[in-house]
Amino acid sequence: MASKSNRAVLEPEAEKAGHSPELLLGLYRMLLKCRLCDEKARILFRQGKYKGNFYSGVGQEATEVGTAYGLRETDWIAPSHRDWTSNIIKGAPLKFCFAQLFAKVTSPDRGRSSPAHMGYPPLHVITPASSIAGQLNVGTGVALGIKKLGRDDIVVTYCGDGATSFGGFHEALNFAGVHKLPLLYVVQNNLWAESVPLRLQTALTNLSDRAKAYGFPGISVDGNDVLAVYASAQTAIARARAGEGPTLLECKTYRWYGHSEIDPAKYRSKEEVDAWKKRDPVATFEKKLMEQRVLTEAKKTEIAAQTTKEINEAVEFAEQSPYPEASELRDHIWA
Amino acid sequence: MARTLNMLEAINEALSQEMERDDRVFILGEDIGLSGGVFKVTDGLLDKFGEERVLDTPLAEGIIIAAAIGSSMMGLRPVPEIQFADFITPAVEQLVQQASKLRYRSAGGYSCPITVRICCGAGGGSGLYHSQENAAWFVHEPGLKVVLPSTAYDAKGMLLAAIRDPDPVLFFEHKSLYRQAKSEVPEGDYTVPIGPAAIRREGRDMTLLTYGFMTQKSLDAAEQMAQRGVEVEVVELRTLAPLDKEAILNSVRKTNKVLIVHEDKKTMGIGAELSAIISEEAFEDLDGPITRITGPDVPAIPFSPNLDKAWQVNTEKIVAGIEQLAAY
Repeated sequence: MASKSNRAVLEPEAEKAGHSPELLLGLYRMLLKCRLCDEKARILFRQGKYKGNFYSGVGQEATEVGTAYGLRETDWIAPSHRDWTSNIIKGAPLKFCFAQLFAKVTSPDRGRSSPAHMGYPPLHVITPASSIAGQLNVGTGVALGIKKLGRDDIVVTYCGDGATSFGGFHEALNFAGVHKLPLLYVVQNNLWAESVPLRLQTALTNLSDRAKAYGFPGISVDGNDVLAVYASAQTAIARARAGEGPTLLECKTYRWYGHSEIDPAKYRSKEEVDAWKKRDPVATFEKKLMEQRVLTEAKKTEIAAQTTKEINEAVEFAEQSPYPEASELRDHIWA
Repeated sequence: MARTLNMLEAINEALSQEMERDDRVFILGEDIGLSGGVFKVTDGLLDKFGEERVLDTPLAEGIIIAAAIGSSMMGLRPVPEIQFADFITPAVEQLVQQASKLRYRSAGGYSCPITVRICCGAGGGSGLYHSQENAAWFVHEPGLKVVLPSTAYDAKGMLLAAIRDPDPVLFFEHKSLYRQAKSEVPEGDYTVPIGPAAIRREGRDMTLLTYGFMTQKSLDAAEQMAQRGVEVEVVELRTLAPLDKEAILNSVRKTNKVLIVHEDKKTMGIGAELSAIISEEAFEDLDGPITRITGPDVPAIPFSPNLDKAWQVNTEKIVAGIEQLAAY
């Protein structure tokens, strides 16, 4: 089984499945929401509305939506710095997501973490550290807890291609393989670890091959095709819930912008960026739904308008929220 | 009923009783199950509780700690073991970046009540990489509690307190004390609170601040000096983070002189911080220089017997320190 599923599955598997219009529209709505929120976050940063930095995931939305859409409230997500939108998909209210960027007292962590490093405890999104692959290790521990308690919840962790070279990645996946833990390890392979190209990170072509070393399936998928990602994720999630263990899902994708908002990303060619932009995960899915008449021009306009209104309200909430008082500095160190 | 146990037996009993009392408690680490631990601290627990609760792990300290952190977020009470403090380095990432900061960075949204048992300290011929007492690394990180008991009684009571504590606790066990430290230990359940220091010997002439393996050596030195008319008050810190400043300062204000004794290296060590606290808060009460007797600033304890012996703080070195300060 492992050898079969370790093959690179680059053809979208989802074509065979007949998805309901509700699901298709739900995925589209969420893709667009992530795109608009992320672009708004970038604009706000450039306007100087908040300090620090932002790590845009524009271009990678299908990897986020395809893997986290439809998770249970009791399931867990362990995001990295580029997965701010995973909070949105899990259901965190937008106003808290923007308050996080602004480091306001109304953010889930009361202004402690850097802007994109968001967690949302009520819905089991783990507040990330900046340490590379750290979220995989802690997420693996949560999965051990789930298994020990006999529950059928699962953990979805995210990391980029860069994190797969880090020792902690190996320790986490090895341990999860030994104990058949309920995990979906998502690797968003966007070809660049900050400025280091994949060819200088690993001799592998498909990062899913790493799963062979841990004794569980690895799948590579077109990370810009939300239905392909969703289908692979659903298979892996069902496997995890059934107690059959983890899956490594490599989503081949691309970040449109720099590593962060202060990175002009001059190490990449314009041709490379343009080629990937033509494979825009939001626009291609939108086109597909229009062709299938699941989405109409009127519906599209309505969804965009509604989402924009929500975002504007959330930004207003964030802007109007106060900063935490200096007296909070020492709160929450010990119980 | 109390009987005499050594520290190793006391820790084993604490783990066993707490696992019986609370089914959320489980232990994990290298060689803790089938072999019962390299010092046999966890001997018999696998037979009693099974693989589900006594987990032999891969040789990977990072995931041992991360597995504990994550499962504690699910409400469990894991007690991971680091076989030798020297090999805690791969887990520093998890302890410092995750465990110490999780509650803070989520503003109380998450916590990780783990108790990390760490075997540390000079064992007489254990060499560079099986001898380090590096608790100071972690005392620098708010969010981590750090304890280092010196008696079998405290080891059982403080371990039970640590497991029931809502915060991550690093529980350092000195390998030389496993069999040397013997005391009466109650059979039943009791806790020794994390935080308070213990005055092990009262005295009027100087305060000796110490902890861990140095406690008994300091008491021996104090006894020798008492015969020569110098009364040393020995304060055992027991908990290094958070420090019992009140007990420290009260003693200093009474005796007006301070000798600090620890096994770990000198520079920027626990003694440096104690000295700074006393200077800041009890400067007017001092009648002499705050003095430190510590391990030397040598990377670790060398293996060859003469070098090993030269490294170690012993009763003679402590006596010499007391003599010098008493004469000031």
